[in-house]
Amino acid sequence: MRWVTAKRLFLLVVLVAVTLAAMHFSVPERTGLSSLESKFRDVLAPVQTGLTWAGRQGRYLVSLPVSMVGTAARSQALEQEVERLQSENIQLNEYLIENQRLSALLDYKNVMVNNYNFMVASVISRDPGNWFGTVTLNRGSSDGVIVNMSVLTPDGLVGRVIAVSASTCEVLLITDPRSGVGSLVQDTRTPGIIEGVAGRSGIARMIHIPNNAPVEAGQAVVTSGQGSVFPKGIPIGIIRNIQNEPSGLFLSAEIYPFADFNNIEEVLIVIFVQPKADTPLVGG
Amino acid sequence: MQFIVYLLLLGVILILQTTVLETITIAGIKPDLVMLLVVLSGFLLGPKEGAFLGFFGGIVEDLFTGNYIGLNALSKMAAGYLAGVAGERLYRENIPVATIVTFFTSLAGLTVNYLLLLYLDIYVSPLYALFRVAIPDAAYTAVLAPFFFWRIFRYVQIRSRDF
Repeated sequence: MRWVTAKRLFLLVVLVAVTLAAMHFSVPERTGLSSLESKFRDVLAPVQTGLTWAGRQGRYLVSLPVSMVGTAARSQALEQEVERLQSENIQLNEYLIENQRLSALLDYKNVMVNNYNFMVASVISRDPGNWFGTVTLNRGSSDGVIVNMSVLTPDGLVGRVIAVSASTCEVLLITDPRSGVGSLVQDTRTPGIIEGVAGRSGIARMIHIPNNAPVEAGQAVVTSGQGSVFPKGIPIGIIRNIQNEPSGLFLSAEIYPFADFNNIEEVLIVIFVQPKADTPLVGG
Repeated sequence: MQFIVYLLLLGVILILQTTVLETITIAGIKPDLVMLLVVLSGFLLGPKEGAFLGFFGGIVEDLFTGNYIGLNALSKMAAGYLAGVAGERLYRENIPVATIVTFFTSLAGLTVNYLLLLYLDIYVSPLYALFRVAIPDAAYTAVLAPFFFWRIFRYVQIRSRDF
């Protein structure tokens, strides 16, 4: 091997080794951002907000002519749908009244209204790649946001705050492979852990489900509130495919989250959880 | 001067990548414009330049996100180098060739990315990684290659004429 080639090869090896070491030291375990990072994000936030808004308007304009095709047929179908929903709504109101009566009898409180305080936030940007699932919101430490706060939509759990600057915060979605959420199958109270599959896949997996647990497709999964930062009872998703884990001791299941991760625009940050008398504030 | 232009271009691309490109996702996947720039530049300029532009573009992307500094630098360096090697062996002034090279070198870069995720103890199932991320990402990026190829080709020609 020529001397020049050997020297180049040596430099390449050094470069790769230094980069691999830097990668390990920049693992996002830290809870705060450096002053420079924080300022950079705050300066960039208005630009990202504007561009995200412009992108949504552009998509609306482009999709408008396409959506006009077949409007008459769709209108007729929608009218039928409205009639069906009105009938269903009356039935649901009956259930609601019955539920309220039973709740009063059992002295239950409406958990979502009485136990949580929410802050509305808009998504202003997302991770540039397809491996990770993170979004940046337009709320930061100046609004009272801190690391590990839970983020939801009315449909279900979205993720948790992992970094905060003065006017923005970064949220790790539950579909990110670095995410883990303590969970329960709602009907059977079977425990498991929801972990992300790949950032942009829009699905997650529930792992470590006991082998003999009565779990089947179509069951809903909620947060367990134990061993995690998420409050208890937040809907996560629906079980689809169930498989045996390689160890043979546990099952795993594919979870289709209730929240639509590819189209989230506004979310709710849980800023306060009312402690219950007999339970800790949130899981550890 | 060219260095500053490249840096500014990367900045604009990254802002677009995190905002406007969200509106053109297909099944949650968006194209990787930094990879496209690196691969096409490497294809036209050669392996050494491709590797350098890939490493630099990747490190800017890593600094932009603030996590795992070097993850994109190494994967895009590999993609840029391979695109340069392909450019030395194939006919360069041809869009279908550039598109196919973009697909395979992007896929190679994403494979390096996947291996680095394993190195960082981030486990993604190989099947999901291949069929839900790597292949769709590389395909979507390659589909955009014809729209940018001639612009980069002309820029490279003007630059080589100046020197």
